[in-house]
Amino acid sequence: MSEKFRHDIVHRWEGNPVITLDDLTFTTNNIYSAAAIKKNGEYILLVTMEDLEGKTSIHLARSGDGYQFDVEETPFMTSSTDDSFRAFETMGVREARITFMEGRYYIVYLGVGHHGFVLCLAVTDDFRTVKRLGVISEPETKAGALFASKINGKYARLERPKAGDRIWMSYSNDLLTWGESDVVISPRSGFWDSDLIGCAFTPIEIEEGWLLGYYGIKNTSSGPITRLGAAILDRENPCKVIARSNIPIISPRKDYERIGDMTNVVMSSGAILEEDILKIYYAAADNCLCLGTTKLADIVKTCIESAKEF
Amino acid sequence: MVKRRERDLLHRWEGNPILTVEDIPFRCNTVFNGSPIKINGEYLILLRVEGQQGYSFFALARGEDGYYFDVDQEPVMMPGKQGFFAKYETRGLEDPRITFLDGQYYILYTAASDYGSRIAIAKTDDFKSYERVSFISEPGNKDCVLFPEKINGKFARLDRPLGSSDVGSIWVSYSEDLIHWGYHEPVIEPRPGYWDAHRIGASVPPIKTDKGWLEIYHGFKMTSCGPIYRMGTVLMDLQNPAKVIARSGEAILSPREKYERVGDVNNVVFACGAIVESDNQVKIYYGGADTSLCVATVDIDKLIEETFS
Repeated sequence: MSEKFRHDIVHRWEGNPVITLDDLTFTTNNIYSAAAIKKNGEYILLVTMEDLEGKTSIHLARSGDGYQFDVEETPFMTSSTDDSFRAFETMGVREARITFMEGRYYIVYLGVGHHGFVLCLAVTDDFRTVKRLGVISEPETKAGALFASKINGKYARLERPKAGDRIWMSYSNDLLTWGESDVVISPRSGFWDSDLIGCAFTPIEIEEGWLLGYYGIKNTSSGPITRLGAAILDRENPCKVIARSNIPIISPRKDYERIGDMTNVVMSSGAILEEDILKIYYAAADNCLCLGTTKLADIVKTCIESAKEF
Repeated sequence: MVKRRERDLLHRWEGNPILTVEDIPFRCNTVFNGSPIKINGEYLILLRVEGQQGYSFFALARGEDGYYFDVDQEPVMMPGKQGFFAKYETRGLEDPRITFLDGQYYILYTAASDYGSRIAIAKTDDFKSYERVSFISEPGNKDCVLFPEKINGKFARLDRPLGSSDVGSIWVSYSEDLIHWGYHEPVIEPRPGYWDAHRIGASVPPIKTDKGWLEIYHGFKMTSCGPIYRMGTVLMDLQNPAKVIARSGEAILSPREKYERVGDVNNVVFACGAIVESDNQVKIYYGGADTSLCVATVDIDKLIEETFS
């Protein structure tokens, strides 16, 4: 059988969506993106959900195979009642990204308060209890992710300050105070990622450097189209872009990606690399969580070949 | 004659403006926001000068009495020419604020580029050579002032990140090395309906008083003809500046004189520094309409009293 030509480098799981509102044992309004990690053979997702009031919380979901998930009703993280964090999370917490580093699971998430979005940092060892460490940005910054290892002796993170809608990175000696911010990549006029970009899943260390999965937005007269793309960043200096794909790795095409509170959105904040296969968990139309897979080599090839074109 | 209350708490110097483009010994467009420091009886003002090209840089003015100044023949800080600093300073250097701390003069300024405005820090010992230290914010941030002493063992600053809906509040952050910053907290927000309804930002580096840290800040209200920039005051707890002790209800200075109303940016009074004299008189240096540098004075006790009203 001849293989059908695939428009998207990422292959959608036939059983998509992985989690819909109907799969839940509780009532909620929306499902956003999820952080993903594999721990002792178990797949763990931290899924952002918006309740009927409009506030967001982060729910934990577990699976033995990466396809069938049980979602916990009691949120793993919800607006803090602690004095140090309350003001930053009055309207909820969302968009977690997990990084396994130095034997612990660090979670960068967004605090949503009336000042706007700030990046916050928390840590867990067992995904049962979680400890907030600090507010690590001023408003308005989103799409934060920690690199899994130190770079030149310092902790490093990606972020997306509102001004300019670019991906930046910063460094820290203590995870709590950050500086030395520099631009990593910017939107590209005329491309699918022409108007806004942000880090999607936590950067993955690969042979060529760091694999950056990012989301990009192009504005149209009926609203934005959010797609996923990829780039390879230098291992020692991630601001140095080794290669960047000219084309998205997945675009909204299926009904579940086109129809929802936010139309035409595929957006990821979690992926798991298993051998040479990348499992990308992505939110579709702010309405359900899906799974797409691809060979790591295919993404790398697309990035490298794009670099040759210019 | 009926004795009327002054409209503005601050008293404008009769000789205002103290500097205009006519006083600059090289070709430029305007001179406005400047930050003063008094060293061994000499007054220095680091000036924001806008060149004819449209971007700003810094020049230095010197004076003996705080009112009459001569400007050095050449600018003292230009946008970075190479490397990291060049990348983020292509649109110029704006609004310097000097803080003397641990024997060193630090200059906090806004670096402008296609990437947005961000805060930078430089230092000098002698106002002859200037050394850039680091950029200390992401883009979308400006109006940074460094506290003149450490708070609970850490350097502290106020700044103005632009939050949601472009509303700007004043935040405080801390650092152990002046390069990496964290522990961010909001201090004060714009007040709907007031003169500072739309956006606010730190202006004068905080002044330590026995009532708390006194901050002279700027705020604006948006009108159909554009913003009106005014000045106000806030007192913050000495140990925890995020705790506000008092905030002035009224503006302490509003654009009224011609040199404040007419210029490249109309209706602006914008301070970047002040000198507290031994007789408790405060000289506040401010830009008028982005086209002149002015000075106004007030007794510090009156300023504190006004903050509680």
